[in-house]
Amino acid sequence: MEIIWQGIKQAIILIFTGNREVYEILFLTLKVSGSAVFFSMLLGIPVGVLVGLNKFPLKKFIIAVINTGMGLPPVAAGLIVILFIWRSGMLGFLKLMYTPPAMVIAQVLIASPIIAGITLAAVQQIDPKLKQQVLSLGANRFQVYWILIREARLPALAAVMAGFGGIISEVGAVIMVGGNIKGETRVLTTAIVQMVRMGNFDMAIALVVILLAITFGVNFLLTLIQQKEGIGWIRRF
Amino acid sequence: MDKKILEISDLKKKYNSKFCLDVNNLYAEKGKILTIIGPNGSGKSTLIRLINLLERPDEGKIYFNGHEITNGEVSQTEVRKKMAVVFQEPLLFNTSVYTNIIMGLTIRKIKLPRAKDRIDYFTDKLKITDLLNRSTKNLSGGEKQRVSLARALVLDPELLLLDEPLANIDQSSRESLRADLFGVLRGYGKSVVYITHDRNEAMVLADDIAVMDRGKILQFARKEEIFRKPVNEFIARFVGVETLVDGVILERKGNVCKIGLVVKKGNIEIYIVGQWEKGTRVTLAIRPEDVILYNTEISSEESSAMNLFKGKITEIRDIGIFKRVEIDCGFPLSSFVTQNSVNRLKLALGKEITAAVKASSIHMFKR
Repeated sequence: MEIIWQGIKQAIILIFTGNREVYEILFLTLKVSGSAVFFSMLLGIPVGVLVGLNKFPLKKFIIAVINTGMGLPPVAAGLIVILFIWRSGMLGFLKLMYTPPAMVIAQVLIASPIIAGITLAAVQQIDPKLKQQVLSLGANRFQVYWILIREARLPALAAVMAGFGGIISEVGAVIMVGGNIKGETRVLTTAIVQMVRMGNFDMAIALVVILLAITFGVNFLLTLIQQKEGIGWIRRF
Repeated sequence: MDKKILEISDLKKKYNSKFCLDVNNLYAEKGKILTIIGPNGSGKSTLIRLINLLERPDEGKIYFNGHEITNGEVSQTEVRKKMAVVFQEPLLFNTSVYTNIIMGLTIRKIKLPRAKDRIDYFTDKLKITDLLNRSTKNLSGGEKQRVSLARALVLDPELLLLDEPLANIDQSSRESLRADLFGVLRGYGKSVVYITHDRNEAMVLADDIAVMDRGKILQFARKEEIFRKPVNEFIARFVGVETLVDGVILERKGNVCKIGLVVKKGNIEIYIVGQWEKGTRVTLAIRPEDVILYNTEISSEESSAMNLFKGKITEIRDIGIFKRVEIDCGFPLSSFVTQNSVNRLKLALGKEITAAVKASSIHMFKR
C-alpha cells in the first residue's frame, strides 16, 4: 500500500513542480493521440455513415471487416504500419520510422474502425422514415448525410470517446513504430513500461495516475456534452 | 395557363403479388384541396411517396405544373423543393423546435428574413410560438405534429402533401389540432393534397375527392357529387350512407323512377329522381341525415317528401353529436336526429313512427 501512496504523492509533486520530462511526455501523448483521434474521425465517421445509410453489394462483408477492425490488436496495427514505413518498405523514403507521425498513423489504424463501427451502428438505428423526411424537405445527398450525422451525434460522440480511450492507453503499436525514444517518441504508456522495467515504481505510478486523469478528464467532458443536451453549441451544431 | 398543378396518368406500382397501385387518372387543381380517402392499406401513402418522387413508379406518368417529372430527366431534388410533405408520424429532428421549423428553409437555402412573416404566422396559427426554444424530445404527439406541419407550411410550397396528419394523434389533442389545421388550410389558397381515412375530414375540407381502395381510384369527382352520387356500394358505405337496399325499377315517369324494393315480405315502393330504364336492378343509398321522423301518421298530401314509411324503432344509439335511430319499416332505415328531437318526439324503442325521405335525396346506382 505504502508504495501506491508514495506514487500518488510523487505524481502530484511531478505535476505541480513542472518536471520537464513528465511534461514533454504528457504533451507528446496528447499531441499524438489527439491528432490520431482527429484523423480517425475524419475517416471513420464518413465511412460509418456511407456504409450505414446506403444499400450496396458486399455491404455485410464490409461491415464484418469494420467490426473485425474494431478489435484489431495494437501489435497487429503496429506491424502493418512498420511493413509500410520500414526503410525498404513502400513508404520507406518518407523516413517515418521512429517518429511521432508513424505513431499517429498506427493509432489511426486502431481508432478509425472503432469510430466507423460505432457510427455505423448509430446511423442504422435512425428511423429510415427520417431519411425520407429529409429528402422530401428537398435535401441533396450531401445534406442528407450531414443532417443524419447530426441526428446521430450523441452516439458518434461515444464513438470518439471509445476511439480515444483505445489509443491513449495502448502501448504495443507506439512502442513498435515509435521506439520509445526519450524526448522524441516517448509517450505515457511506453514511459510507464520503461519505468516498471527499471524498477522505478514511484515514477511509473505517477505516470499511470496522470494517464488515468487525462482519460477521465476527456471522457468526463464528452459525457457532460452527451448527457446534457442543453449545452448551447451542440444543440445548434 | 394550366389549371392543374398535378396530374397522374396510368400510374402503376407493384409491391408484391397481392398489392398493386393502379391510378388511371387523377389531378389536383391549383389553389384547390384534393382529398384522397380510403381505408388503411388502400395505397394512399404510396401515392404520396410516388408524387414526391420518394419512389419510382413501374409505369405511367406524373405531371407537375404541366411538366412530366417521372421521366428521370428532371432533378428529383428540384421537384421536391416545390412540394412539402407532412407524414403520418411527425418525424422531427433531435434539436429545438425552432431549428426543426427552419430545417426545410435551411436545406432549400431560403434566407430566413424572407420567411420570417410565414414563420411567425404559422407558428402563431398552430399555437407553437411558446415552444420554439424547447427540445422536441419532450413534446406531446399533438405538439410534434404541429411542429411538423409548421415546418412544411413555412416553405410556402406550390403543392402541399398531407398524409393523414391527424391519424396518429391521440383523441384528446386531435380535435384541437384538426380545428387549428383546418383553420390554416381554409385561408390557405394554395394547392393541397390531403389524405385521410376519415370521411368527416374530407367532407369539411375537400374541393375534390378521390376514393381509393386496394390501389385503385374508385371515384374521383367534386365533393358534392361523391357524397350525393356514390358510384358503388363501397363508396356509399365509405362516405357514410347508412341505408343501402336493393330494388328494381318498376316504371319511369319523366325524371322520377318508381322502384320496388327487394324485401323479405310485402311490397315497398320508393320514388327516386333518376332516368334509368324499367327493369334495371339498382341499389339505393339513403343517408341518415336525409331521413326525417314524424310522430304522427301523415299522408302524401301533407308532405313534400314522396317517400313515407311507417315503422318501429329498433335501436337508438349515441354517435357523438347525433343519435342514430334505426327503424324497421320492412327494411332497416337509419336516421340521425339530435337529442333535442329525441326528447320532443319522445322517441323510444318499439315506438311507431313515420319516416320521410325526399325523392331527390336518395341516390341509386346499378347493381
